[in-house]
Amino acid sequence: MAPSLLHPPSQLSHAAALQLSQQAPAVLRSSPSTVSASPLSALFSASESPELWTKYENLLLSCLRTGDERAAHQCLERLVARFGNDNERVMAFKGLLKEADAENNGQLELVLKEYDQILSDNDTNIPITKRRIALLRSLGRVSDAASSLVRLLEFSPTDAEAWSELAEIYLTQGLYAQAIYALEEVLILAPNAWNIHARLGEMQYMAATASGAGAGPYRKYLAEALKRFARSIELCDDYLRGYYGLKLVTSEVLGDSAGSTKQNGADEFSLPDPATIERLNELATAKLSEIVRHAAARDPGWCGYDELEVAAARELLTKDASALPGVVR
Amino acid sequence: MTWISKTITVFGGLLLAHACYSAQEHSALQSLRAATSTLTSSSPNTAALPVDIAIETVVATLVILLGLVLGTRPLRPIQWRVWAGKIEREGEEGFVDNEGEVNKDYVGNPFRMLEARPGFVDIRKQRREFAQWVKNGDSAGAGAQ
Repeated sequence: MAPSLLHPPSQLSHAAALQLSQQAPAVLRSSPSTVSASPLSALFSASESPELWTKYENLLLSCLRTGDERAAHQCLERLVARFGNDNERVMAFKGLLKEADAENNGQLELVLKEYDQILSDNDTNIPITKRRIALLRSLGRVSDAASSLVRLLEFSPTDAEAWSELAEIYLTQGLYAQAIYALEEVLILAPNAWNIHARLGEMQYMAATASGAGAGPYRKYLAEALKRFARSIELCDDYLRGYYGLKLVTSEVLGDSAGSTKQNGADEFSLPDPATIERLNELATAKLSEIVRHAAARDPGWCGYDELEVAAARELLTKDASALPGVVR
Repeated sequence: MTWISKTITVFGGLLLAHACYSAQEHSALQSLRAATSTLTSSSPNTAALPVDIAIETVVATLVILLGLVLGTRPLRPIQWRVWAGKIEREGEEGFVDNEGEVNKDYVGNPFRMLEARPGFVDIRKQRREFAQWVKNGDSAGAGAQ
């Protein structure tokens, strides 16, 4: 099915982005080029809809990604004609276009200076602040980006997107404890986000494997990861990513069962007993093989999974089957 | 499934049309009889609708309702985990309306945006990756030829 222009294109595959940007001439031709904001002319011309502007934004992003600058500039012109030059969102898109057009680091520094200029006039311009942080990160100045992001979060602590970005930045620097803290903040703001629960589980699993078996926080991180993956499955039936993580963590714990079994402090979540973990592992294996089977057969109602994720799950299952022939049924 | 519901709806429509026609015929007959009865001055009879026409109307309405209800798509899940699982398992194919179009308010996983983070998009990296993909695709295509 063709991707819709009404959804943000950041997570689309390259082919889908290309398909979207190839629609650009047709969309630009069929939509009105200017929509007046005055109520009098709205009586006589076609009424505008919010979807139209969402479309322009997403088209702009897809066209920039595929290198179709002409269509991107057209989209931006229309957004500017409707919302004016001093709209914060439009300012961020203009900056984005300049970033994409820049050919060397000198021009990017100029764009950065422009952002600083805008922010010195009005330092509550959140879209531009975010662009500035993204540009800093893209230029490789990650610690600057992190400190700017922390400052942004100081005056806007309910911005889940910014907390999530902060978590990813900390993760790239290997600061697991900070990354986990930032992602927990996201979960406070969006407690039902099953993918964020799974992401947190993945981070904790990474932290556990990075600290190495036998180290102090190893079992604590594993227990937390187990809890997070279980929660993501509780929030979402047949969640491939959650079951994948659950299987990884339980296999890790079972493989490590020879290690220390001393109890943690009372306030910390401790691992359940090995029998429970064994059953969780079996459940995850059964669910994963069911999902892989259905997705491979392209059964109706099972086509929503990402193909790469299914392939990864299949690989995990075969690896597990060759290592522990007794566990897989 | 759909042809059953369509047949039932059409049958109900026929019944309803028949009931309307009967009622119309009945009233025409009544007015004719009233015109003749003023001449013969018989008892003033009330033009009440016969009970079978009323029953037919009610039954036809119920049959049409049954057909329409059978023809609708299954209701959307109201439990969070079932709904979320449907999004993950079926993607947008699970959220089509009666015309087969994807619902306008379908957004997939609404929390995906927290991982994609459109406000922090690194457009230069995306462009590089896309250019790389195009180059690889071209070289793969050239290799296949």
